[in-house]
Amino acid sequence: MSADASTRGAAATRRAGGWAVWLGALAVLFGTWQAALSLGLLSPMLLPPASAVLATAWDLVRRPDFLGDVGVTLAEVAVAFLVAVPLGIALGVAISESDYWSRVLRPIVFLVFSIPKTIFLPMFILAFGITFAQKVGFGVFSTVFIVLISTFSALESVKGDHVRVARAYGATRRQIALRVYLPSMAPVLLEAVRLAMIFNVTGILLAEMYAARAGLGQAVATWGQNYMLRELLAGILLIAAAAILFTEAVRWLEARCEHWRT
Amino acid sequence: MAGKATPLPEAPSPGAGAPGPSLRALPSRNGSIRVTGLEHTYAAAGRVTKALEDIRLDIAPGRFVVIVGPSGCGKSSLLMMLAGLVAPTAGRIVCGGRALTAPDPDLVGVVFQEASLYPWLTAQENVEFPLSLRRVPRAERTQRARDKLALVGLAGFEDRYPHELSGGMKQRVSIARGLVQNPPVLLLDEPFAALDEQTRISMGDELLRIWEQTGKTVVFVTHSLTEAAYLADQIVVMSARPGRIVDRVEVDLPRPRTYAMMGTPRFAELRQRIWEQIRSQADG
Ligand SMILES: Nc1ncnc2c1ncn2[C@@H]1O[C@H](COP(=O)(O)OP(=O)(O)O)[C@@H](O)[C@H]1O
Ligand SMILES: [Mg+2]
Repeated sequence: MSADASTRGAAATRRAGGWAVWLGALAVLFGTWQAALSLGLLSPMLLPPASAVLATAWDLVRRPDFLGDVGVTLAEVAVAFLVAVPLGIALGVAISESDYWSRVLRPIVFLVFSIPKTIFLPMFILAFGITFAQKVGFGVFSTVFIVLISTFSALESVKGDHVRVARAYGATRRQIALRVYLPSMAPVLLEAVRLAMIFNVTGILLAEMYAARAGLGQAVATWGQNYMLRELLAGILLIAAAAILFTEAVRWLEARCEHWRT
Repeated sequence: MAGKATPLPEAPSPGAGAPGPSLRALPSRNGSIRVTGLEHTYAAAGRVTKALEDIRLDIAPGRFVVIVGPSGCGKSSLLMMLAGLVAPTAGRIVCGGRALTAPDPDLVGVVFQEASLYPWLTAQENVEFPLSLRRVPRAERTQRARDKLALVGLAGFEDRYPHELSGGMKQRVSIARGLVQNPPVLLLDEPFAALDEQTRISMGDELLRIWEQTGKTVVFVTHSLTEAAYLADQIVVMSARPGRIVDRVEVDLPRPRTYAMMGTPRFAELRQRIWEQIRSQADG
């Protein structure tokens, strides 16, 4: 029982530590920002005061045109994510099912993974035009390989004895898939989800910055070109906050099944 | 804590006292095992390994048989075949009077080496796992798993996850899982190999107690000569490459076995005999 209490205590300490780190990071960020300005290290022309940027951020989140851009980007990100993750997992499992296709396709997947996906962006524009489908397509393309590779390692993390036990107790193929493979793979797949979202958002923002009529990436690019630093920095802060929130939520789930990795 | 559990539905003859429509008990089936002319060859990545050759076993119901041999001699392969998990290349396994061709959880329970518990399930859920695969009603499932956890001395630990249990406790849970369908045969593959020596000896005592209480046929694989001599009615000694049975030793030490017996001349003699069999095979 005392072991329980100490584990719980340690977890609480870790959580408190987590918050302290967060607050510390924010303090350092804004502290350095203001210090750089008051010491004259950076001109306010290049770096507006944090207070002004935060005020602009607050304005932005109430502006319909900005919210429209957010909506477009969120839709692209969500569709690409919902296509890329199941597709990557399904392909990864399908390839691993067959020894032959594993030998043929795995090296190819790893090779393609190492190519920077950005250089394919012009081809997506040629193929799809400057459209929603092009953004989603490029998002999926940017994401699917990391999901595939994570699925390979998730499958490798399944323990032979765990499968053997289930078979010995008469489990059907379906039961083995759902009750042994899925939970065994969950920790690695959650990590994949986290990485997938980073690759996905990066791809889609890039596609929007490169050529788009709407979306956050397009807005950020326009602000940059027009020297609208407050909006630019406010946009960066908002995107960073959203990305960090998503990542931390998934990491929280990951932490909950950390002890599954034995 | 154990006092709270209801009396165990165990009976010396398997199936006899076990009620419940979902148990699908087959009263006529006993825990006898007969293996004839068993052979197994692995063919992987172009290499052919003859793992087992000419294996013959005749195990009467309720016996405690220990298979001992050097690492790589095919002990695990043999056990997997007895569990119906691997089809032999040649030969025949008859278990409980019927040819064994696929896993049959009503007949055979298995306990593997360390860490074969599902880390995402509690002790209770791990023990319930075989029942949940067959849609045994929840109440019955809970009760039977609780009873088995109590049998292995883990009443009160139902809600612990494997990572919250010691190595010995984890193997107790594995044994409870192996017994939960009340099969007449229990197969164990080096279940205590990862435990420290004290835990290993007390787990051996636990297993003997459970065996005496339940009357299962036990086939226990180990590479420890001491463990073999301490636990067994009969020791089957195997040699490596290809795995063959080189000796069968009847252990005439009285039961219940005690730690003190390990110091007796008879115990030393038994160990000596097994060791010489294994060594002569390794040299030749
Ligand atoms: N799946 C497999 N594929 C190919 N060879 C195997 C496989 N499993 C076991 N072997 C080989 O069969 C022999 C017996 O293995 P095993 O039954 O695990 O022995 P033990 O349990 O006595 O250590 C070893 O030489 C091993 O390398
Ligand atoms: Mg083995």
